[in-house]
Amino acid sequence: MPDGSLNDRGIASLIEPGRVHRRVYTDPAVFELEMQRLFGRAWLFVGHATQVPNPGDFITTDLGRQPVLMTRHHDGSVRVVLNRCTHRGIKLVAERQGNRQRLICLYHGWTFDPDGTLLRVPVDEGCAPGFKLCDFNLAKAPRVGVYRGFVFASLSPAGIAFDDWIAPMKQNIDDIVDRAPGGEIALDAGVHRYLVRANWKMQAENAVDSYHVPFSHASTVNQKGVQFSRREGDNEGAKVVDGQRTAPQWKQRRSYSVGHGHCWTSNTELKENERSSAVYDEYRRTLEAAVGKERSDWILTPRMHNSLLYPNVSFMGLNMHIRVIKPIAVDLTEVNIYPVRLLGAPEAMNERNTRLLNVTHAAASFVQSDDLEAFARAQAGLQSLQTDWVDISRGLGREEAIDPPGALRQMATDELVVRGQFRAWLDYMSEA
Amino acid sequence: MAGEYEQFLIHESRLLDERRFRDWMALFTEDGSYWVPATIGQRSPYGQTSLFYDDLELMRTRIDRLEHPLIHVQTPPSNTVHLIGSVTTEPGVPATDPESGLPASDVLVLSSAITAEYRLDRTRTFIARQRHWLRRVDGALRIVRKRVDLVNCEGAFEAIAVPV
Ligand code: FES
Ligand SMILES: [Fe+2]
Repeated sequence: MPDGSLNDRGIASLIEPGRVHRRVYTDPAVFELEMQRLFGRAWLFVGHATQVPNPGDFITTDLGRQPVLMTRHHDGSVRVVLNRCTHRGIKLVAERQGNRQRLICLYHGWTFDPDGTLLRVPVDEGCAPGFKLCDFNLAKAPRVGVYRGFVFASLSPAGIAFDDWIAPMKQNIDDIVDRAPGGEIALDAGVHRYLVRANWKMQAENAVDSYHVPFSHASTVNQKGVQFSRREGDNEGAKVVDGQRTAPQWKQRRSYSVGHGHCWTSNTELKENERSSAVYDEYRRTLEAAVGKERSDWILTPRMHNSLLYPNVSFMGLNMHIRVIKPIAVDLTEVNIYPVRLLGAPEAMNERNTRLLNVTHAAASFVQSDDLEAFARAQAGLQSLQTDWVDISRGLGREEAIDPPGALRQMATDELVVRGQFRAWLDYMSEA
Repeated sequence: MAGEYEQFLIHESRLLDERRFRDWMALFTEDGSYWVPATIGQRSPYGQTSLFYDDLELMRTRIDRLEHPLIHVQTPPSNTVHLIGSVTTEPGVPATDPESGLPASDVLVLSSAITAEYRLDRTRTFIARQRHWLRRVDGALRIVRKRVDLVNCEGAFEAIAVPV
């Protein structure tokens, strides 16, 4: 039984094989510890290199609650530095994005290069004896890793190496990026920002939850039990419900848990050979011209629905987007959704993807808005003190071992992927 | 003349407040659209995210869902009140604008709108600059495009279920 303390034993007592204690979602002290030990240690998605194409370009974001800048330095390299003046602590840059060759603090004018190097301080005759500019460069993210333009950072100098962390999920990133005839994508088509009065883990779990769809998203399903089409060229979407029950096709989905909290779900079979429209056909021809028909067919076969790179980013293949989770408080989370633009694809194809994303994942969308209602209601329900445990036992003991060693698979309507996330959670949250 | 346009805008917003979504949709022309940009001064709904960009087909899907008994984010439903003011008019655009996809219109009506929305013990406010491009069809005013620029369109929103 959890004794309430947050030493290693106390933390471990919150997680059991098939259930977790409500405090992991509701306790502000657990959240504070998550900010230090999970978001303060893990590899986190920062941004995509295409968000800062030119020297001096920057975006601002938060890793956990820590403000950071991702910049393009004069030498063309992408840098991640803390957005905090090393003099008296001012947040150096306020805008979400922009271009500046020098970052000048608004307060007393300390001036930094995009890589964080302190160049000058006004009235330097006032500097204390022994003051050295180089001791006051902006703090850097201790570790930065890049895969296919996706920039990740860890705020801890120690921990799992980036290559080991990203390895099991490279195929999930490739799955989307390879659809670009130019082999590269851009995150430059705007963002959807939504806010939910719930713990951040609700969103992380939901991104790979296939159990909820027939119920949470009932209002998006037509009389035939089919969800509205979410991809250009689809004349109808996925079969979700059969009569009053979850459709057999939906139950064919599988989920995968591959360590470090990483996980994904496969797709329902979609009528791929019937997928056609003027825009889609032209895109397919462009991709075939770039990579050949055989490879193009393989690339366009849906394999992955949503993939979570634990803890803060998911990649959705169905209507292509990147979702970034930003915890604000134990019961408040912001989520940012970026449409993926396939470089080298006809712009009409990218426009259709962005347009469909408005109705699937904007704050005003048909799909995501019911998820947000579920998260907020979960947070409200978990205030009950009479039932401490949250059940995540579906499929417990029925996991199927697959390659590589340690990877597991089971029906996507089971809860393997939630258990996998909490296994990683416990690793991060332990003291050492 | 401004009176007729103002009356039309008040009527339109009242249909939303009364949740008469099908009647609201019927105010749009066949090539009509409803657009709520996600950035200040957004030039085009194409290739950029928007909070809403519904043509009639998406609008119909949206309204089917609003009428569905299992729309959780409207259980219970929102209660809204619109206040429309500062109405002025300008000439419409004679031909389709390729950048924004805006079809030809007879008149552009500019206005300000304040909408209060109450649901589940919480009240929030949407404040917007509105632009209605209108066309006269068989003597009646129809909406070619309704554009709603929320003052906080670049901010993060909790779920929005009904058109603002
Ligand atoms: S706080 Fe930045 S220059 Fe003083
Ligand atoms: Fe969902």
